[in-house]
Amino acid sequence: MTLEDIIKETKTYYCLECGKCSSICPISRHNPSYSPRLMLEKALNGFEGDLINDQELFSCLSCYNCLLRCPADVDYPLFMQKVRALASAQGKYGVPAHSGTLQSLMRLMSNPAIEQRRLEWLSDEYRISEKADILFFVGCAPYFESVLDFKTGALDIAKDSLKILNALGIEPMVLADEKCCGHDLLWTGDVKTFRKLAEHNARIIKESGAKKIIFSCPEGYRTFKFDYPHYVDLDCELQHITEFLAENMGKGKLNFKEAKKKVTYQDPCRLGRHLGVYEQPRKLIEAIPGIELTEMEHIRDESICCGTSAWTNCDAYSKQIRTERLLEAKATGAEMLITACPKCQIHFKCAMVSKGEERGPDVEMDVMDIVNLVASALGDNGSE
Amino acid sequence: MNGFNLSRSICTRQLLQTKRRRKITEFEPRIIVFACNWCTYAAADIAGTSRIQYPHNVRIIRVMCSGMIDPIYVLRAFERGADGVIVAGCNYTDCHYIDGPVKCDVMFEKLGKCIHTLGLEDERLRRELISTSEGTIFAKVIKDMVNQLKKLGPSPFRKKVKS
Amino acid sequence: MAEVRIGVYVCHCGTNIAGTVDVEEVARYAKKLPSVVISRDYMYMCSEPGQALIKNDIKEFSLNRVVVASCSPRMHELTFRAACQDAGLNPYLYEQANIREQCSWVHSDRKQATEKAKDLVRAAVRRVSHHEPLEVKELPVNPNVLVVGGGIAGIQAALDIANGEKKVYLVEKEPSIGGHMIQLDRTFPTLDCSECILTPKMTEVGQHPFIELLAYSEVEEVSGSVGNFKVKVRKKARYVDESKCIGCGVCEQKCPWKVNSEFNAGLAKRKAIYIPFAQAIPNVATIDKEHCVYFKTGKCRACEKFCQANAIDFKQIDQIIEIEVGSIIVATGYDNFDPSIISQYGYGKYDNVLTGLQFERMTCAGGPTSGEVVLKDGRMPDSIAIVHCVGSRDENYHEYCSRVCCMYGLKYAYLIKELINAEVYEMYIDMRCYGEGFEEFYRRVCELGVNFIRGKVAKITDQAITEDEQGKLTILVEDTLLGEMIRVPVDMVILCTALEARSDAEKIAALFTLNQRADGFFLERHVKLDPVATPTDGVFIAGCCEGPKDIPDSVAQASAAAAKALSLISKGKITAESAIAHVNETLCHGCGRCEETCTFHAAKVINKNGVMVSTINESVCKGCGACAVVCPTGAISIKHFTQEEIKSMVDVLAES
Repeated sequence: MTLEDIIKETKTYYCLECGKCSSICPISRHNPSYSPRLMLEKALNGFEGDLINDQELFSCLSCYNCLLRCPADVDYPLFMQKVRALASAQGKYGVPAHSGTLQSLMRLMSNPAIEQRRLEWLSDEYRISEKADILFFVGCAPYFESVLDFKTGALDIAKDSLKILNALGIEPMVLADEKCCGHDLLWTGDVKTFRKLAEHNARIIKESGAKKIIFSCPEGYRTFKFDYPHYVDLDCELQHITEFLAENMGKGKLNFKEAKKKVTYQDPCRLGRHLGVYEQPRKLIEAIPGIELTEMEHIRDESICCGTSAWTNCDAYSKQIRTERLLEAKATGAEMLITACPKCQIHFKCAMVSKGEERGPDVEMDVMDIVNLVASALGDNGSE
Repeated sequence: MNGFNLSRSICTRQLLQTKRRRKITEFEPRIIVFACNWCTYAAADIAGTSRIQYPHNVRIIRVMCSGMIDPIYVLRAFERGADGVIVAGCNYTDCHYIDGPVKCDVMFEKLGKCIHTLGLEDERLRRELISTSEGTIFAKVIKDMVNQLKKLGPSPFRKKVKS
Repeated sequence: MAEVRIGVYVCHCGTNIAGTVDVEEVARYAKKLPSVVISRDYMYMCSEPGQALIKNDIKEFSLNRVVVASCSPRMHELTFRAACQDAGLNPYLYEQANIREQCSWVHSDRKQATEKAKDLVRAAVRRVSHHEPLEVKELPVNPNVLVVGGGIAGIQAALDIANGEKKVYLVEKEPSIGGHMIQLDRTFPTLDCSECILTPKMTEVGQHPFIELLAYSEVEEVSGSVGNFKVKVRKKARYVDESKCIGCGVCEQKCPWKVNSEFNAGLAKRKAIYIPFAQAIPNVATIDKEHCVYFKTGKCRACEKFCQANAIDFKQIDQIIEIEVGSIIVATGYDNFDPSIISQYGYGKYDNVLTGLQFERMTCAGGPTSGEVVLKDGRMPDSIAIVHCVGSRDENYHEYCSRVCCMYGLKYAYLIKELINAEVYEMYIDMRCYGEGFEEFYRRVCELGVNFIRGKVAKITDQAITEDEQGKLTILVEDTLLGEMIRVPVDMVILCTALEARSDAEKIAALFTLNQRADGFFLERHVKLDPVATPTDGVFIAGCCEGPKDIPDSVAQASAAAAKALSLISKGKITAESAIAHVNETLCHGCGRCEETCTFHAAKVINKNGVMVSTINESVCKGCGACAVVCPTGAISIKHFTQEEIKSMVDVLAES
């Protein structure tokens, strides 16, 4: 694909050069020299070399703020994604975070010859089926704890998701040979490996006979829903666990005990702006007696991104973006920040790591995924 | 459910797991050793000065301290098709930078879990503490690992996963 | 970036490499690699003509990178870097491939060895392209020296340096210098009076114009690096004005409170205000706050009343003194093993079981018994046993041999015979008389009729089973030469206790960035060839803190450490490490993981214009790389060992 093809496909020639994207972009807010508009202009004027060699090409968070606001309906994130593929084909790859360990793991995972041991956390306490209509997609959770130097909570999300589903009488399939959805590779230009992962996941899910896939990770959900159809054939119903629970909760199937807590909720970019799921998580939180939900200043489609996407270009501005968000969270007076995305949780927790003698602004607060909150509030459920 | 037990079991003189017995005699494993300048690299040099022979399958990469070894180097080595990797450095009391080996252990434990979850055999990744004078031990470790890997077979990643 | 132009040189090293590796083929192979402009093979690259090849090529072919495939870089990296520098090329634009120690000398198959050599050259060529020129920085050396510890080793080191007219700060934590040596009576094998040979040196230290003595002081904080250390010393309050006190001792006489004397190893008492011993330097009193009636109750003040020099000052406070030095000599000495944990020996249980140090104090003319060898009840002992290897050569306590005990055991035997002619039994496993005059001394002691019983003492008991044993301490031991279990009744037992690392050795190690060996003593840079230097540049060790040893060895090490310090001062400058950490501030989160992990306190997070960002102290950073591994964003990289460089080598070498 050439730059011209990309421009045609993403309709970037409609750009009005109004600068709305730059003004709404979280990165531009902290890094005045970063401008989505300028990148588009470079492409439109044929400065391919400039664009591809700019490491900031990989800074975009694909948070969708610009897409939602653009008066000319330019799909900037998709444009970014495609140009990165072009750059990657020429050996450019931004500045991978954690030395590129995560991307390396994903590439290793894509190899068809391996037999992963990714379900060792699955104890007898969680009931799964060999064959069921519903499949629970675990994602990269088994690997995160081995890369990051703090407790990420990613596996707790998987465990609590299963706990809740079990409480609803559901014993989903959990595949032992599931692989990374490929989101991070697609968004850093490695389309070839992404395709391998997509094809693998599509094949094993088809073979399993699953009819519905439930995700606890909005990135996996988004990737299966919007990106997979361009590469593979997979005919399953897809839902985020909050959507599923919100549907099934009302039928008296989930009993909650009282939990006295003041919380606030982070709308993840993928679940919120990408997929439009804003109400269901809130409905879930408010269903727990004793929980007081207090909203941050910027919520729903105005929610502020956690600051890093696809494990790349995690820089001083990423830190400033998430500090801004955490300060907003603390300003609500909430004891706890609830997220619905393991990446949000990881990035917020990382921002709280402060080991130097001199410290920056205090951003420490408890963070937990919405399924952790729901699971901890589960009372006796008749369908046990 | 076993977790990844990183005790002495992954270090020197480990017994083979009999998971895959492919006796491919023409297969020549490729081993990458990350060796710290002050101890293990020096030990390899001593093996040389003493003319202690060991298999040619090993390629040594010099780092200043075992604490300098980033997990990406090991993962990259496997990505490029290495059959085995050794993360080697000083003993705990010998380190030129005082506590490098301790830092390396912390890194190695997490790395080991990654490798384990990926499904690679534990024998493919080793942690060794080899002091400056231990040329004989260096040679023995290499011979041991080559033999192990010959029995285990090539790494599943040998068909390169290009990035 | 300018075009990379690499010159590759493959060394034959006579037949050392060429005998196994086809060096010409390797050179031909290298020529085809990207960015390689010239590729040669030569007999001896490290020779003058070999180096000239490189230098000429750099000029003729405008090379901006050089690779030499030869011996280990540990051998000749500096040589070839210097050659590059000579030709005007930054010395860090050089890489060496080890095709001798790690290839031709360890493999025999010519084909395999040649293939491996090609791989190693290809990796070196790939890596050298990533090298950046690095600044070679020189820093000045502060000519002052800090000596920590005022025992014989510290005293000797201080005198050697001060006699070279360089300033020394001598810090000693006790009220007086002298260490353990001043507690000894006679020294083996010449039986010189220890005080007599030590006190002149102590006086010299006290009066030397180039030595600033900080007694009753401890080092609190050390920062900086070789050539430029900043040290904080806490001068503890004596509650006596040093400048006024004349050391007359009247305060000591008048003080009502008695405490166990450390100097006399618990065999006598001292007062709460005390001068530790007559020849103390500085010869001033000290008030032991913990045991002083005034500090406990507000009453007494007898010392103040009687002090004619008005030297008592109860309001005195600790002082923090900040000094700047270029090098440090650590000579903190040893502790004695406490044998009370070996319950079978009855130390602390039976009155007449003593340690070696206690016996020293006993035989000392100025000691608690005025030089008389007596039992607790005042009687003279008829028989004395000297037990070797108490706590040494013992897997349960210390595996090592304490080196001096056999000799001082013999010394006691000699003195006992001389003073009271009691029966003496030496219970030993081996007699280690390795030094000058030692074997001769052993022979003399044998001739005095001392009984040598080869066996490790099993038990010391006061339970008599025969009449001979009544009222005595009986030693149960196997005489291994006769093959018999025997019981030896004696009046007094002297335990030759092990020398062990100081109880606060761990704290001292952390303070000066030293390693401790498994046995607790400090680690030298090289066991054979560099016994007084440590892995930390500019910090040296001497004496028993490095391991048990006798006085001549301690003195030798002290002079050696002094020579090392003087050598640094003489050169006046040091080359700072160039391959150090570097922060890319755009990527930095200011999280402090680097600060937490850095053992040398080189990385620090600061508030820079409202943004938290990491900084590296370039004169302290050693380039170990730990910070780069914990940095989550890649903000910190190590010059010359960047991740790109190492990954480039992995890419080449992992493929087969």
